[in-house]
Amino acid sequence: MKMQFKPTTTLAAVALLAGAVSLPVLAHHSFAMYNMNTIKVFTGVVTRVDPAPNHLQLFFAPMNEDRKNVERDEKGEPVVWAVEMGGSAQMAREGVSVNAFPPGTVFSVGMHPLRNGEKAGSMEGGLFKCPERTPPAAGMHCDSVEGSIQIGKAGLPEPK
Amino acid sequence: MPIFKRNQIARNLWTLPVLAAACLLGSSVFAQATAQTDLESVGRGAPLLDLNTYALTGATMRRGTGFVGPSTEPPVFNGGAPPGETPAGVEALPIDIFTSKDFYKDRALWTDPRYFRCNSSAALEDLWGGNRASLIGENPPTSAAWGHCENDYPREAIVSPYGFKTAQEHYEALKAETTARGGPTVHTYETVPGEWTGRYQHPGRTPNNWYWYRMRHNQVPTILSLLTPEYQTRMVQEAYHHANTNAAQWPSQYCWPEGFMRRWHEAAQWELSIMATPKMVQILGGVVRNFITNIHIGRDFNMEGNVPRLGADVPRWYGETIGFWDGDTLITWTSNIQGWKAHAAFEWSNQMQSIEIYTPNRDADGKFLGLNHEAILYDPEALVEPVRIVRNYEKLSDFDEGDPYVFVECIQSIFPIDGVATPVSPGQVIEYKIPDMYGRPWDAIWKEYFEKDMEKQQEAEDIFSFE
Repeated sequence: MKMQFKPTTTLAAVALLAGAVSLPVLAHHSFAMYNMNTIKVFTGVVTRVDPAPNHLQLFFAPMNEDRKNVERDEKGEPVVWAVEMGGSAQMAREGVSVNAFPPGTVFSVGMHPLRNGEKAGSMEGGLFKCPERTPPAAGMHCDSVEGSIQIGKAGLPEPK
Repeated sequence: MPIFKRNQIARNLWTLPVLAAACLLGSSVFAQATAQTDLESVGRGAPLLDLNTYALTGATMRRGTGFVGPSTEPPVFNGGAPPGETPAGVEALPIDIFTSKDFYKDRALWTDPRYFRCNSSAALEDLWGGNRASLIGENPPTSAAWGHCENDYPREAIVSPYGFKTAQEHYEALKAETTARGGPTVHTYETVPGEWTGRYQHPGRTPNNWYWYRMRHNQVPTILSLLTPEYQTRMVQEAYHHANTNAAQWPSQYCWPEGFMRRWHEAAQWELSIMATPKMVQILGGVVRNFITNIHIGRDFNMEGNVPRLGADVPRWYGETIGFWDGDTLITWTSNIQGWKAHAAFEWSNQMQSIEIYTPNRDADGKFLGLNHEAILYDPEALVEPVRIVRNYEKLSDFDEGDPYVFVECIQSIFPIDGVATPVSPGQVIEYKIPDMYGRPWDAIWKEYFEKDMEKQQEAEDIFSFE
């Protein structure tokens, strides 16, 4: 199923949040370390899903612009980011689980990054999983790929 | 001072103190026998070769019988040869786990008990002092002691005596035979076996409660023969770092999860608390972490997905358990288990499932003594065939006496520094690499600090290239 959704107004974005992947309302830790005024959107390759007791963490290597490989550090090693989601059971019911996102899965997600610049963020908006071993075209995200799976009702957020 | 005496406790002699201790402990005596039942079953209560009649395999320092708490007796050497010596009549291999620089290259030798100097896997982790008494000798690790090459609990007594390929088949067969007899029993609060509820003895200190998974009565190759090739490698890897590099990575030392199979480890469970209700039986135990087995009576698994489960599609460290009553016997099925390891034993995968049967043990007058616990373990990724563990829980008292269960919060004070578990003081600053807890973190430590010069292992699949 091909899903594309690009909210264009703040009002629309706020309205969509209600139907987005259910982020935790009663959190187990403060989310104040994340900058809620900034949004980054990534397409990446899963390295690990950690169904930790606080909130599910999805570790991934962001893909490069041409979507043929991943961004790498000066040693040539993949750069790894983390995105924090809802509780593990809640996310599994939404379709994000250890079994559904094995290492190598390509997906796209938006996040509020950490204020301190470290490579992690809190999920914002929907999430799209590309078909197996089928990354999007250069510069695009999984919501542009035929057969991608949408998690949650919201689309990918606009970067800001 | 340790007393070294070669072959001090031969097989027959070893049974004497066991029996003597059992007699001293009065009426609460169990043999490792299977459940007391006249029932002919397709999947429970099959005869068992009592491991308590077998002698220890590996070199070890023993303090008395070890059944009834810390002993004041001096430790006594029990093994084939003390450090620096070789047992009479045994030809040592040119290379063994203590002298090898690369255990991966020695695979052809793993089937020979002499590669491990006839030590059990539990003995291997003890040699450097893992359980406080060292038998590694003056020139470690090459001077390590030998175990008894002649001692080995038979493999045939470990594998499941039942013909089922999966836990599902096994559970359904047990349910079918129970149904054919008019069951499963639906208990109310008036009929549920309330005598189950109470405090139970530490399984490792229950008389005559040795079982093979305590890993002290088998040669390592016998245990390896139960495993698939990849899991053989993993077990030998751990054995090497216990025996040779002295770089034990026991999960609980770092307050990492204990994991499902640690329910059977002799050091992971202290006294157990069991509560029985018509719809839920709870078994609570633990030392470094809490083990809570919630048995959901009368429920069915969701069979969609990778493995059967009760809740969300999230592997759980101790799985999820359903069960049914057959009179006062409880038959259970556990699935959705997170793969992990128990030190001195073997790793298991997320495919691990168990069928466990709890049957009352009674004396001749019908008095409830405790529970017989028979477990059959299915893991097609790790095990070449299902295995069985049988043990007993000895009831100590109801909840109106004795110490209460202590809910454990493990606060990490030991960290891997340069690959070696090291106690760290408050205020001390260390460099610490965050472990990948779902990627065999012990393996990452060993590979980084101790295996750089070893045969290159199979490269992981490149998941990042889409060229």
